[in-house]
Amino acid sequence: MDSRNHRPAWPARGAAVWGPPILMELPSSVSARLLALIPPAVAINVAIGRIVAELHLPVYLDAVGTVLVSALAGPVAGIVTGLIGQVLTAFISGYIWLAFAPIQVIVALLAAGAAARAGFRGVPASLAWGGLVGLIGGVASAAISYVAFKGVTSGGVTAVTTILVSLGLGLAPAVTVSSLLTDVADKAITFLIVGVALRSLPVRMRGRYPLGQRAVRR
Amino acid sequence: MTGVELRDVSFRYPTSAGNVLKSVTLQCRPGQITWLYGPFGAGASTVLLLAAGLAPRHTGGTMTGAVSVLGHPLDAAGLSPLLGQIGFVTATPHLQMSGIAATVWEEVAFAPANLGWPLARIEQAVEDAMTALGVAHLAGREPDTLSGGELQRTVIASMAVLEPAVWLLDEPTTALDAAGQTDAYRMFRRAARDGATVVVASEQADALADVVDRLIVLRDGEVVLDGDPMSLLAGDDIWEGGPGSTSVAGLCRDASRHVDSPRLAMPYPVTIAHALERWG
Amino acid sequence: MALAISMLAFLLPGPRGPLLLYAVTLVAMPIAGVGRAIRQGLFICLPLWFFLFLLHGVLGGGPTFGVGPFALSRDGAELALTQAGRFGAIITVSLGFYHSFDASRFLNAAAAKRWPLHLSYLFVATLHAVPAFLARTASILEAQRARGLRFGGGPVARARAVLPLTLPLILGALAEVDERTHALDMRGVASTRLRTPLMAPKDSVLDRVVRWLLWLTVGAAVVWRMVG
Repeated sequence: MDSRNHRPAWPARGAAVWGPPILMELPSSVSARLLALIPPAVAINVAIGRIVAELHLPVYLDAVGTVLVSALAGPVAGIVTGLIGQVLTAFISGYIWLAFAPIQVIVALLAAGAAARAGFRGVPASLAWGGLVGLIGGVASAAISYVAFKGVTSGGVTAVTTILVSLGLGLAPAVTVSSLLTDVADKAITFLIVGVALRSLPVRMRGRYPLGQRAVRR
Repeated sequence: MTGVELRDVSFRYPTSAGNVLKSVTLQCRPGQITWLYGPFGAGASTVLLLAAGLAPRHTGGTMTGAVSVLGHPLDAAGLSPLLGQIGFVTATPHLQMSGIAATVWEEVAFAPANLGWPLARIEQAVEDAMTALGVAHLAGREPDTLSGGELQRTVIASMAVLEPAVWLLDEPTTALDAAGQTDAYRMFRRAARDGATVVVASEQADALADVVDRLIVLRDGEVVLDGDPMSLLAGDDIWEGGPGSTSVAGLCRDASRHVDSPRLAMPYPVTIAHALERWG
Repeated sequence: MALAISMLAFLLPGPRGPLLLYAVTLVAMPIAGVGRAIRQGLFICLPLWFFLFLLHGVLGGGPTFGVGPFALSRDGAELALTQAGRFGAIITVSLGFYHSFDASRFLNAAAAKRWPLHLSYLFVATLHAVPAFLARTASILEAQRARGLRFGGGPVARARAVLPLTLPLILGALAEVDERTHALDMRGVASTRLRTPLMAPKDSVLDRVVRWLLWLTVGAAVVWRMVG
């Protein structure tokens, strides 16, 4: 008798959160699933941005796919999702936006950390973790905006920066405040959406993603 | 040598309440088309996933027993050693596309290119596969512009290009019209004649009754019937808690409950040709 | 070329360097047959330029000079011009590359250069997936509108519409991953063998010469910035 007890072939618990295997050396079972998961996740980033624009909301929600993949498949997959998305944005709108690639890495790592701590188990936890990620990501965004972009990035955030500067705040503090304001709200809503999605997964699908089950404490 | 063999296999998905397959032992031989038949949840699709080495590797779950394909057992990682030699087709063609091909030709060439075949071999194999499935005229088309039937033919061609030794087919002709179904099964019949092991999981009894060589009926994860398709489809056992038989057999069976006539008695005619033969 | 210009935009001293580089892209794009990159680049750059001049020119500190009714910061205006040139050059040449990009050619070139399939696959598959998802989004918007979901009203009402619009997209995408995984696996996407290029990508002598010249220019600019 031969007994094979398999979790779906994701990296083992410790490795999933803190031991990133190199993409090229991932076992075949993992790479096929990631190749199937990552393109639609990046497309979700873009599509949800379109929804947000339709609703005229002052957020971007362009990291939903990245956070989702991090929660389902670990930080490496999340980082790859975020970077591919950033490369795509740069490809379509200008290489200059590659400067924000480190933010994708930060968000993916923190989202995986949140998932490892059941950070998506409910609305309060999702919002709290999203706010924290927004805080950290916002500080990093502000640094990149200030150094590489001299405070001018996209319309909404830059408009807030301009208002703050016109009120007498220095450029660096203004960029920091505007980045934090938008990023905290943006990531809080992102984590809320991903949390609801993870908790809504049908039973059959949940079994494919043991990391995702841990993210919602199941 | 057996083509696909399951020996005392029990299997449970990570979130299943119980075993989806229960001590299943079956053999599908090379040179034959074997039909796995059962109602939804009977386990036919799971048998195909196990034979392909996709379960439990991708699906997770617990398996006991042994699975081997053309005499090769699944390895320790659950990977079939014949990956690249197995044609696997399901009912949803748009989910089986490569996602990167600009033309139908590139779509069909995707698998052999990944396996590092020489270009000349790829070109010949692609032409042969596209001709066999009647999609040669679509070679330059973008896959996104194809109809459902054209897409399914392209998907089957994308596996046929590998000249697989084993075909694992899960409702492969759902998206095809009658002509498409005929072309597809003609190709599978030819493959079987050339020595391939062809296994089909389908509930389309009418389409398969006179195409297949052997019928295995599954119910609740167990093999309940195994043998000659015509004999099994003409009997009553296939109706007892099972998937039922063809429309013609069903009509006769229902009619026989209301009309006492030897022409409606078992064995029921399975196809229209059988019925015409019996009823003159 | 796009990468080289992006690097030169930061290496060349402003504002003349980046502005000259932008002028070069304005000439090069039509020659390369991607003149529409200029128009699209302007569409992206104009709001950025507006804020640059507002934030640094009008609101910037230090000595000023008059331009009509406005008093502009000298240092701020120089910074704004430098950054505007950078934005213009990089965004325009990136869009030019985007419009001349051929996914098949890229895949075959990557295979010829023995890149692992995963990287080129992820990029091209994502490029193909985005339009399909945007179409799906449009369908979801219509379907939810038909079910009575309101998209207007105050921010809270609009925020409430986010979940009913985003969840079907996410759950639908995840539902398809299993079958896509199986199909990709069976088609050898995880094969360790080198992928066969399906066509030999052309790399003319002129292409190679231009590439080398560009990288030499970037190298010279790096050295000049370090020494100068």
